[in-house]
Amino acid sequence: MDDQLAVDAVDVVKAFGSIRAVDEITIKVAPGEVYGVLGPNGAGKTTFLRMLLGLIRPDSGTVRVFGRTWAHDGIATLDGVAGFIESPAFYPYLTGRQNLEGLGLLDGGARSGRLDEILEVVDLAGRADDRVRGYSYGMRQRLGVAASLIREPRLLVLDEPANGLDPAGIRDMRALVKRLADSGLTVLLSSHHMDEVEEICDNVTIMRRGEVAFHGAIAELRAQAPDPGYALATTDDARALAVAGRLPAVTATRAPDSGLTVTGPEDAVSSYVADLVRDGIRLRAFTPTRTPLEQLFFMLTDTGVRNEEVA
Amino acid sequence: MTATDVLTGRPTQAAPVLGSRPGLGAALRWETRKLRAQLRTKALLIGAVLVPIAVVVIVHSQPRPPKDTLFGRFATDNGFAMALLVLGFAAQWVLPLLTSIVAGDIFASEDQHGTWKTVLTRSTSRSTLFWGKSLVSIGFALLALLVLAAATIAASVLIVGHQPLTGLSGQTIQPQSAVTLVVASWACMALPMIGFTCLAILFSVWSRNVAVGIAAPVVIGLVMQLVGALGGIESLRPYLLTTPFEAWHGLLAEPRFTGPLLDGVITSAGWSVVCLVAAYLVLRRRDITGG
Repeated sequence: MDDQLAVDAVDVVKAFGSIRAVDEITIKVAPGEVYGVLGPNGAGKTTFLRMLLGLIRPDSGTVRVFGRTWAHDGIATLDGVAGFIESPAFYPYLTGRQNLEGLGLLDGGARSGRLDEILEVVDLAGRADDRVRGYSYGMRQRLGVAASLIREPRLLVLDEPANGLDPAGIRDMRALVKRLADSGLTVLLSSHHMDEVEEICDNVTIMRRGEVAFHGAIAELRAQAPDPGYALATTDDARALAVAGRLPAVTATRAPDSGLTVTGPEDAVSSYVADLVRDGIRLRAFTPTRTPLEQLFFMLTDTGVRNEEVA
Repeated sequence: MTATDVLTGRPTQAAPVLGSRPGLGAALRWETRKLRAQLRTKALLIGAVLVPIAVVVIVHSQPRPPKDTLFGRFATDNGFAMALLVLGFAAQWVLPLLTSIVAGDIFASEDQHGTWKTVLTRSTSRSTLFWGKSLVSIGFALLALLVLAAATIAASVLIVGHQPLTGLSGQTIQPQSAVTLVVASWACMALPMIGFTCLAILFSVWSRNVAVGIAAPVVIGLVMQLVGALGGIESLRPYLLTTPFEAWHGLLAEPRFTGPLLDGVITSAGWSVVCLVAAYLVLRRRDITGG
């Protein structure tokens, strides 16, 4: 046991009937760390976070939060911990401010002026006195972050905070999470977007069907990532294929619909494009398909490959 | 690392255990605040004032009294009889409904709004929240009963009058005693109403469905009355939660008998304790996988 860890979950198992939603997961998060739990829908991320927050009990294994366990410490396990699971939920007939005041009451009362500060941070000060039933999805997400900040958390648990938001909402939410993370909070972020985790997190656990598919630093994940892929359309795809044949580091194949799919290290692909231009082949389109990390994510979560096998 | 909280400037490393944890008082204040904000709560209390007045006015204006009901024969001429007539009617389904609308909703609405995960991840324990919600439900039941009783008695006496009341044994009860007995009769509703509140709480927790939480206690109450009216089940009657609603009859007889009142206390308390304990255990053991 390590009391210094913000999260120390060891061999945690949770089954619903015959389905093992979480299967011997071990996750350790150090204080100050920004940690990502990544996986497709149904991977067990939310179930794990629910166990962490005491909403459901694990069948076996231990979950310690700052050294405390639900079995031994009860609700005190959550002292210094805040966050939300899936989309945050509030009482629609109360205003945003009334919701926060009430939740603050359940935390022993928020100090005077603190609610206004928090509402400013999440950019809801102007709508705080409107009933929550009139809030957009993005506003509710931000109110969820505000409800978490009332607790003056040391560990912030966010379950897919950008889920369901429009592009502007996603940008704002990511900026907010990044600000919080930069301020030194320990953040445990669940997501099914590789780019979101890559942008914010130091370390990551990738889950697949309740199991750990990868566990390690983002840098380590990047090192294991395959070459980037591109969709290429030219004026003469047959000659473009032939040019690729001269470059051993580049692989080009015909795409199912039209054009070519090109993979290879970035330098080699750049040389390939230069060769195409030199040979008088014009490029109609040249776009990245999946980022290398996305490709690795799909490899890990679609095929049952584990990180040691990737390595 | 010397990172600090985004708003407080405190170091983020440690997560100390709270010195003082919010207790039952915080849960009570929160639940009361939510209840006060709901339109339905206000509507119920306003209805508890206005509906009895309307009933009294309508019955009083009838040319012939409802003779086939308890105290119906005297209701158009005697305010105390009118208040007892309304009491007999309210006990059939109004009181269970009045309390179920709040108690049957108070837990299930957390499922409906998906807010269990919001409140159960604060510093207040599941147990504290349970007792907070239960006590607020019981408090509302008693308040609603008080408002309904006060409105009924006041309207009856003011509109119909305060003549001497003819008791169940044919005795004449002077107005001063009559008012005490009428108030006491209404007060006898408190314990079975708490019993129905606890029954609604159980359905609210167990079903996680607002409609079931509200309707089930009312339907069960009506079934119990039906069962209680059947012959050949005298041994079962004392255990029905609707039986204590009739215990006040002994107060209006000569000589008075209080046996049913004592039985009613035991029955109501029994139902209340069993329902609350069952609801508590269900909530304590529940995995919050949805809301």
